[in-house]
Amino acid sequence: MKKVIAREEHCLNCKLCEVYCRTAHSQSKDVIKAHLRENPVPVSRITVQGDNMLSVAVNCRHCDKPACVEACITGAMQKDPETGVVTCDESRCIGCMTCMTVCGFGVIKSGKFAVKCDLCQGEDMPACVKNCPNNALVYVEVGGAE
Amino acid sequence: MKYVIIGASAAGISCAKTLRENGKDSSIDVFTDEAYMPYSRPIISYYLKSYVEKDNIYLNSPDFYKENKINIHTQCPVTAINAEKKTVTTAQGEFSYDKLLIATGSKPFVPPVENSENAVNVFTFLDMAMSEKIKSYAGADTDAVVIGAGLIGLKAAEGLRKICKSVTVVELADKVLPSILDDKGALMVKETLNKNGICVRLGDTVARCNREGNKVTSVTLKSGEEIPCSLLVIAVGVRPQTALAEEAGIKVNRGICVDKDTMETSLKDIFAAGDCVNSTDILDSCEKIIALWPNAVREGKTAALYMSGHGEKDSGSFAVNAIDFFGQQICTCGLIKAESAQELVSLKNGYKRLLVRDGRLIGFVLIDDAERAGMYTYLIKTKTPLDTLTGDLLDTPSFMMFSKEVRTERLTGGVKV
Repeated sequence: MKKVIAREEHCLNCKLCEVYCRTAHSQSKDVIKAHLRENPVPVSRITVQGDNMLSVAVNCRHCDKPACVEACITGAMQKDPETGVVTCDESRCIGCMTCMTVCGFGVIKSGKFAVKCDLCQGEDMPACVKNCPNNALVYVEVGGAE
Repeated sequence: MKYVIIGASAAGISCAKTLRENGKDSSIDVFTDEAYMPYSRPIISYYLKSYVEKDNIYLNSPDFYKENKINIHTQCPVTAINAEKKTVTTAQGEFSYDKLLIATGSKPFVPPVENSENAVNVFTFLDMAMSEKIKSYAGADTDAVVIGAGLIGLKAAEGLRKICKSVTVVELADKVLPSILDDKGALMVKETLNKNGICVRLGDTVARCNREGNKVTSVTLKSGEEIPCSLLVIAVGVRPQTALAEEAGIKVNRGICVDKDTMETSLKDIFAAGDCVNSTDILDSCEKIIALWPNAVREGKTAALYMSGHGEKDSGSFAVNAIDFFGQQICTCGLIKAESAQELVSLKNGYKRLLVRDGRLIGFVLIDDAERAGMYTYLIKTKTPLDTLTGDLLDTPSFMMFSKEVRTERLTGGVKV
């Protein structure tokens, strides 16, 4: 499957990936409205970690054997057997956060539902990759992760 | 290949799924004494507090079982295992198997409470049928008493709070959630319960029920206090359901004894997984019952891989739990106490308590401070030496704590770009 791979040597800590992820997962899909007007505030599914000296963007690895799927107590978290994308079905998630407690990458955020990267399903390229100004994020065909 | 699975909860269903993923032509029969298609057991408290509808309790759609040719036999208890003939006796007759999984889970432990026998308003809280019964019995004028402040008791209390006039929890230990929390964490949770109108009596227990006819009307505590009670939930703990296994001659020592790598029992071709087995905790090498969902799912999967000849050693058990009460988020993992362990505490956001021994993380309690909690779980599971990390362990964990090599390897999975 295709995954987002981060290249820390190229990361500028600008956090535009977060801005555009939030926008892509907003109601309005408008960068200004998404950040200033919407309630609930849309959540970025990618997080830049580190500082101006060294930083890297981290999002879901869509693992071959996802701990979050294994631990999900309702069956809301699923890995699509065809695409390999791991997504949370909000209609079935009860926000217990067991997934957050077992994800070794720390990429699931808590809220009313578990919030995580869905690789911008339906788009050719995830918003974070498309809007990274320095090619620190690339979208490439890879094998598996953990 | 003919597979038979006894029990249709976490371990049973994950086993069935994995068996199907690893073989198209085998037959898979799952037996449960319950009337429901496989559902999420932890969700019964969310149903009680009307957070989820009845339609939303199921683990999979009915089509899933049809498409995957997994035969779920509801209301069909297994009454005997004949290991020599390789058959099970069920309410629907005899079924033969090549490989068998016992995933019978646990049952509520009900201690003798004087004068509680056969009362119509005394319940346990472990399955959907009970949750439905309690929900239809409880009303706005109900005074509820819950015996036991463990995960099940407190979840029952939280749900009942939405419905009842009063809710009192009575716990024999000196703190709430004694199996997963340290003293300070437990105190914070108790405060949250109190703030939300739940009375908590610690170091006490119900000595006797007082009743009118077949109904309990009040309980008298060991301390002498009398509390009005029109609904009593007994949730002091669970015991593994091992009777079937024992009668079949399988080795049982509290839980069913299994090979920790393969989940096979003392009898060939019979496996067991989930709350009914003794798991070996990777953190203290002790055999114990780890009656938690993720553990049961993983064990069910491991058993399936060995049953179908795709064996892959089990990655090992340890406790992980996430739960919330009235919006207060509690995440715990590993051990809560250990000899010669050091405790690291931060109150910066909520409450964070890390337990370190021999330079490795062996447990945590996080209350309203669980950002990237799983990264701590990773450190526990992989027994990562903490001196290979940089930064303050009490800060929100980040990939910057790893060396460049480890970080890159984990994030890219070895893919060069």
